[in-house]
Amino acid sequence: MTLKECYEGLGGDFDSVLLRLNREQLVEKFIYKFLDDKSFCLFKTSMENMDYAEALRAVHTLKGICQNLSFTNLYESSSITTLALKENDYQKAAESMPQLSEDYHRIINAIQMYQSSKGE
Amino acid sequence: MKKQKILIVDDSEMNRALLIEILENQYDIEEAENGKEAIKILSRKRNEFSLVLLDIIMPEMDGLEVLSHINKYRWNEKFAVIMISADDSPEKMQLAYKMGAFDYISRPFDSVIVRRRISNTMLLYERQHQLEDTIAKQFREQEKNNKLMIAILSHIVEFRNGESGAHVLHVNTITELLLRQLMLHTDKYSLSKSDISLISLASSLHDIGKIAISDYILNKPGRLTNEEFEVIKTHSAIGADMLSKLPTDQQDMPLVKAATEICRWHHERYDGKGYPDGLKEDEIPISAQAVSLADVYDALTSERCYKKAYAHNEAIKMIIEGECGAFNPLLVQCLEEIADLLKNV
Repeated sequence: MTLKECYEGLGGDFDSVLLRLNREQLVEKFIYKFLDDKSFCLFKTSMENMDYAEALRAVHTLKGICQNLSFTNLYESSSITTLALKENDYQKAAESMPQLSEDYHRIINAIQMYQSSKGE
Repeated sequence: MKKQKILIVDDSEMNRALLIEILENQYDIEEAENGKEAIKILSRKRNEFSLVLLDIIMPEMDGLEVLSHINKYRWNEKFAVIMISADDSPEKMQLAYKMGAFDYISRPFDSVIVRRRISNTMLLYERQHQLEDTIAKQFREQEKNNKLMIAILSHIVEFRNGESGAHVLHVNTITELLLRQLMLHTDKYSLSKSDISLISLASSLHDIGKIAISDYILNKPGRLTNEEFEVIKTHSAIGADMLSKLPTDQQDMPLVKAATEICRWHHERYDGKGYPDGLKEDEIPISAQAVSLADVYDALTSERCYKKAYAHNEAIKMIIEGECGAFNPLLVQCLEEIADLLKNV
């Protein structure tokens, strides 16, 4: 599997990220790093604990990472959640969670598949 | 050349890592994961940094609070702050600019743009500092020349009086010390630091009127007759007149104004028994009051061909007892208080 195919699988824009970061190795390094990023977990737990301030910070951070890595789909769903939390619309934020979660796991799966296809 | 240093403040480890990846070849990097940590690092060693990259939304202390702290203590005179944020709402950015941010870089980061924006900012800051240094140096040089010109002029006057050139320097220093001490006691005269240095510089000219007094009287050995003494006494008014004949634009200069006051009134006395106008108490400008006390004190404590040098305590005693006329009691108190400093004059 190529990195470009991986990006197609995870719902991102490979050309854009490569243009900005210049090197495939760098893109690869950072999508691997994304596997360890805690923002999504922090967001989920904070929502469960109704700690909305913390949830907002976490999903905002996630949004920023998605922007940098051109994870288009997750960027869009995390933007919706961020906006809802900013407006203190907790119901809308909760409603946006399934999509966010789906987009997130799609990325994780795609990266893991890519990783195993390279025998890493 | 030593690499310039950047502080990256962002709560997301991934974002910091990405920026480090983009920047580490060119710069030394240090990281902080929230505002509090950034402030801690900057309080300790802010001089090491040329630039701070600052995220806005962070736990503990957010970027705008950090910015306000930096602004309050004027730390950003030495380093530039560039905001990095996924929150591109114009309100936040406008606020950041207002609070002293130099620029902002929005996500997604483009490695070329990030590098270029940062290097341009640093270059601009460095150039600005170089310019400031150059101007400060030129200013100091200019001021040195001004002081030198005045020193030469007053030296010529003293040379003709047969006094040592040290007298003018002493009066300069004592005047400055007296007025600084006076400011600790009262704000009645509201003198700034630069007012005080100006008065001290102008004090060099206190005796310029003496160039109009004949050699015969000025350097007469032995006692002067009453008539001769009356002639000597004209030097204060003559000095002020000479300055008042300068072109109008020069007369308006603060240095000339101060020098004119000092020339005319440095022989006035607090009880109104001085000359030429018999002004009393605070009718006499504080500049002239300080110079007259400094003048008398230095004359007492220096050796002259007709007298020995008195010690500080003796001189003070003579001044308090009115042997040299009456002075502002608060100024005399100041003179006593600066005894230790006067030993080094």
